[in-house]
Amino acid sequence: MSINLDQALQTFIVEAHELLQVMEQSLLQLETEPADQGAIGAIFRAAHTIKGSAGLFGLTPVVGFTHIVEDVLDRLRDGSVAVDATLIAVLLKCGDHMLELINVVASRGETLPPAALEREAALREALSRYQAPTHLPETVPQSIQTVDAGAGTSAELLWHISLRFGVEVFRNGMDPLSFLRYLETLGQITQVTTLTETIPALDSWDPESCYLGFEIDLRSTAGHATLNEVFDFVRDDCEVSIEAIHEASDRAVSVASEWDAQAEQGPLTASVQRLPAASEPKTRDGNYVRVNADKLDELINLVGELVIASAGASLLARSCHNDPLQEATSTVSGLVEEILDGALHLRMVPIGDTFNRFRRVVRDISQELGKDIELTISGAETEMDKTVVEKIGDPLMHLLRNAMDHGIESADARRAAGKAGKGHLSLNAYHDSGSIVIEIADDGNGLNRERILEKAQERGLVASGAVLSDQEIYNLIFEPGFSTAEAVTNLSGRGVGMDVVKRNITLLRGTVDLDSRPGQGTVVRIRLPLTLAIINGFLVGIDTSTYVIPLDMVQECIELDVHQRQSSRDQGYLDLRGEVLPLVDLREHFSHEGSAGRRQNVVVVRYAEHKAGLVVDDLLGEFQTVIKPLGKLFGALRGISGSTILGSGAVALILDIPALLNQIVQLEARTAQAPYSPTVVAR
Amino acid sequence: MAKNVLVVDDSSSVRQVVGIALKSAGYDVIEACDGRDALGKLTGQKVHLIISDVNMPNMDGITFVKEVKKLASYKFTPIIMLTTESQESKKAEGQAAGAKAWVVKPFQPAQMLAAVSKLILP
Amino acid sequence: MPITIETRDDSTCVSIDGELTIYTVAELAGALLPQMGGAPRLLLDLSQVTEMDGAGLQLLAVIQREADSGGTALSVTGQSVAVTQALELCRKAGS
Repeated sequence: MSINLDQALQTFIVEAHELLQVMEQSLLQLETEPADQGAIGAIFRAAHTIKGSAGLFGLTPVVGFTHIVEDVLDRLRDGSVAVDATLIAVLLKCGDHMLELINVVASRGETLPPAALEREAALREALSRYQAPTHLPETVPQSIQTVDAGAGTSAELLWHISLRFGVEVFRNGMDPLSFLRYLETLGQITQVTTLTETIPALDSWDPESCYLGFEIDLRSTAGHATLNEVFDFVRDDCEVSIEAIHEASDRAVSVASEWDAQAEQGPLTASVQRLPAASEPKTRDGNYVRVNADKLDELINLVGELVIASAGASLLARSCHNDPLQEATSTVSGLVEEILDGALHLRMVPIGDTFNRFRRVVRDISQELGKDIELTISGAETEMDKTVVEKIGDPLMHLLRNAMDHGIESADARRAAGKAGKGHLSLNAYHDSGSIVIEIADDGNGLNRERILEKAQERGLVASGAVLSDQEIYNLIFEPGFSTAEAVTNLSGRGVGMDVVKRNITLLRGTVDLDSRPGQGTVVRIRLPLTLAIINGFLVGIDTSTYVIPLDMVQECIELDVHQRQSSRDQGYLDLRGEVLPLVDLREHFSHEGSAGRRQNVVVVRYAEHKAGLVVDDLLGEFQTVIKPLGKLFGALRGISGSTILGSGAVALILDIPALLNQIVQLEARTAQAPYSPTVVAR
Repeated sequence: MAKNVLVVDDSSSVRQVVGIALKSAGYDVIEACDGRDALGKLTGQKVHLIISDVNMPNMDGITFVKEVKKLASYKFTPIIMLTTESQESKKAEGQAAGAKAWVVKPFQPAQMLAAVSKLILP
Repeated sequence: MPITIETRDDSTCVSIDGELTIYTVAELAGALLPQMGGAPRLLLDLSQVTEMDGAGLQLLAVIQREADSGGTALSVTGQSVAVTQALELCRKAGS
């Protein structure tokens, strides 16, 4: 039979990764609560399922190792082995090794490299201490093949099979006719006699009891064992006799009717385990359908086109001044919006899985560093785009590692500073005005403001004499070139690579900033867009061109009168109810030819803590839009994050507000020596 | 009309392998991830054969079989238990509960198909 | 109702609609067997049987036995594919 299992193998790989994660989390849970039966059950099931499924794909190395792990877990489950720190450490490493096995053997189809085999040998050795002392290699109880008349030969024989089914057969869900049909697949049934003589008289006959018997002649190349196996499921209460009839032959093999006294079943010791549902990690599948992420992207892209098309239809309808048509298109728009929300929601996953992965990291690193650090996770259910979740892992890891390495002090130093010996790290996620915020907070020593400033000036990142707020100073550590190899040492309370962290977050259209209090700790705040695919945009026009500003960054719109225009152009900022609002003239910024329109407007945008006014000609209203990434050609274009197609078919560029604001910040920082602009941006 | 086989296992790859094997032979396959989920899938459609794993979250296989046997419309439906070689006691327990057929994990798709076709035709 | 029983003149006409399996044999036997012997002829219509298994086969065997012993003339007026296949399977004559 040629059954292609490639796709199922992919499912197995994904599933194994999930199970290993469950295993790891449950082991960590067990570390804090050694008596948690739910956790033990979950760990056992993870190993058990991986072993069982790996066997289906013939992944012998996975099965072999996992079997030993499962064996120890089984003993843990029945109480013959107690939970202790060493065992948990060993089992955590076993999980790592299983992951490697899956990645190497299942994903790549390779064999383990020697180093990994060495690790495995060490783990097997460590595990053996927890196995039963008289542990014998697993014997696979196969039906013992006593007689096999057809063994070795594939010659066709004529077999005579006598069957007397037991009374319970029907009630057990077995159908004698099915067994006959199955025999037909093994050869040719030349004769069948149905025996009904034993059916009792009507008054004592129960229609649901079976009294049937069959005498069958079967011509088949199958051996005795194969034929005998056919009746495995009914052997308990049936008489089966299988004989080879050699026509004109002296060699007749006869097998006595077998009342295969199934080993007496003994007291059912293994009690049925019913775990409270609450202690189970949420079942991931069942009611779920696994969909290839590409298909989802395709769907979202299509929905995006639909949004655009529907917007186009609405625009047309409006210009027709046909009320019923307008009403119809607005209904369609409403539905399209719902579809869009639904489609986008398909890509949203909770951040919790990513967060939980860090429990292990924190545990391992804190042990490595000899610090006692506790990780608190909150907001695990906060959902965000799958792509973002996947890509935020590395930056988060880096930030956590830094916080543990440099932020949190040793227990002694902490106590000396009057703090609890145990360090505290927290990961938190929440939604905030169309963005997701992830906070990594520690209660360590905080950053050293003076040394950062000193270093930054030394590196030419800050003009000497510039007046910077504390926060601006702290955020200097994200500047490229701030930390260099020389600065690897615990210079700032943070190691190298913060610029890389920032770059990765910026690539996700996100921002990062940092707040620190001496002696009390540091908070790093990452702000990310909810989705990468679609934004609610605010359309603005300059000449005949249209630009899109992400709506959630628009604070207000102001008309710029002729008087203000002149003064604001001279000063580069606007007095917004007493606030200094830096202005960017988009006409100038994007080098539009021609003079400004008669009327101009200012769109006040805010991102994180920066605020600025964008000077445009026209305000064209809200528009939901799909982001089409810009080609490489335009990759270097500052201030543009993508493009979109309007209902009219025209292309509009999407403004990259964070980048624009950043430009202003830098511009102002360069001129910071100038006495009249003490703060870079309005708060 | 193809016969419906309900495959109950918490491992989606096992369900997929069984599904591929059975569909190739002409059976229709319904999947469930644990006993509780499976009980829900028994209503509203006719299931002709049940294949169930033993160790599952929420409701394990043995409890599930016992529940099935209580249902008037399923008390005579054949059930195949998926056991592992190390679970002889579970197999006996399953048989006592009413799952008289079994397939030992790990199995080849062909083995699963053989077990199923002993019990029902596609 | 999976079974309809009508008596016309000297015949009892029985038709079974649906499954002739372990799930229905008890009900079918309960409805059908007491009617036997009520008329000299028993006409059995199996053309609407959708499924038949060993339990169904056993029920047919019992009906035939009871008809024979009671002197009722049993004739099957129609049979569905399911019935034909099941009967063929267990009545294979020697070659």
